[in-house]
Amino acid sequence: MELEFKNNRIVFGKELSNLDKLVIRFVKILNRLDVDYVIISGYIAILFGRSRNTEDVDLFIEEMPLEKFKMFWKELGKSGFECINESNPEKAYNNYLKEKLALRFAEKGKIIPNFELKFPKSKYNLYSLKNKIQVILGKEKLWTSEIELQIAFKLSLGSDKDFEDARYLYKVFKEHLDISLLKRQISELRVEKQAEKVLWKKD
Amino acid sequence: MEKLPKIDLIELKKEMELNRKQRREFVKQYAEWLKKTPNKVWSKQQNKLLNH
Repeated sequence: MELEFKNNRIVFGKELSNLDKLVIRFVKILNRLDVDYVIISGYIAILFGRSRNTEDVDLFIEEMPLEKFKMFWKELGKSGFECINESNPEKAYNNYLKEKLALRFAEKGKIIPNFELKFPKSKYNLYSLKNKIQVILGKEKLWTSEIELQIAFKLSLGSDKDFEDARYLYKVFKEHLDISLLKRQISELRVEKQAEKVLWKKD
Repeated sequence: MEKLPKIDLIELKKEMELNRKQRREFVKQYAEWLKKTPNKVWSKQQNKLLNH
């Protein structure tokens, strides 16, 4: 795998999947409207080659006022996306996002894959938004969670799939990671035992 | 109606753990292969799975 990992930026190229192209199409709308976001989900492992698919891509978006959200909603509609859990933008904003619940957007007429959007809720959520890394994929740019946080967070989720994602990211990025940061993230999330089993154990 | 076999839950738990271990071993093997493989090659293979 050829990649450049320096100063919170990963530069690499690959043949884009349909999922990659859809994600790029979606985040371009966020970029156009200057909406700060970070991709936090299993898609990160898939972006970097993990051999599985996903039915959704999770993002935190910066908390924004209703008027800006309505503009975002309109732009998504113009670009062929629709919200699949609420059809009214004000209700979507007040009953979901402001309540720190997720809105899901998919291509019109489809349900998967979809984009799960949330306002950050906890200090940790805000940390992931503030400490995101830029992935430069050819001419395209995406913002994702820092890899150390993603690994630790996946360990905390606890499913077999999440453990495999954590292990995968660790193995692929091992030489580029800030191991002391990773250990601090693991400690913060109280997943030392999981890390021992999934990441550090020699096998 | 055929009688179902009695499940030994301890044995099942061991089997599941072995399965998990083997899956994690594959993840390691796959990651190592990917690191040695040009992006053009691994992504083409990945897309056969994702674009299906």
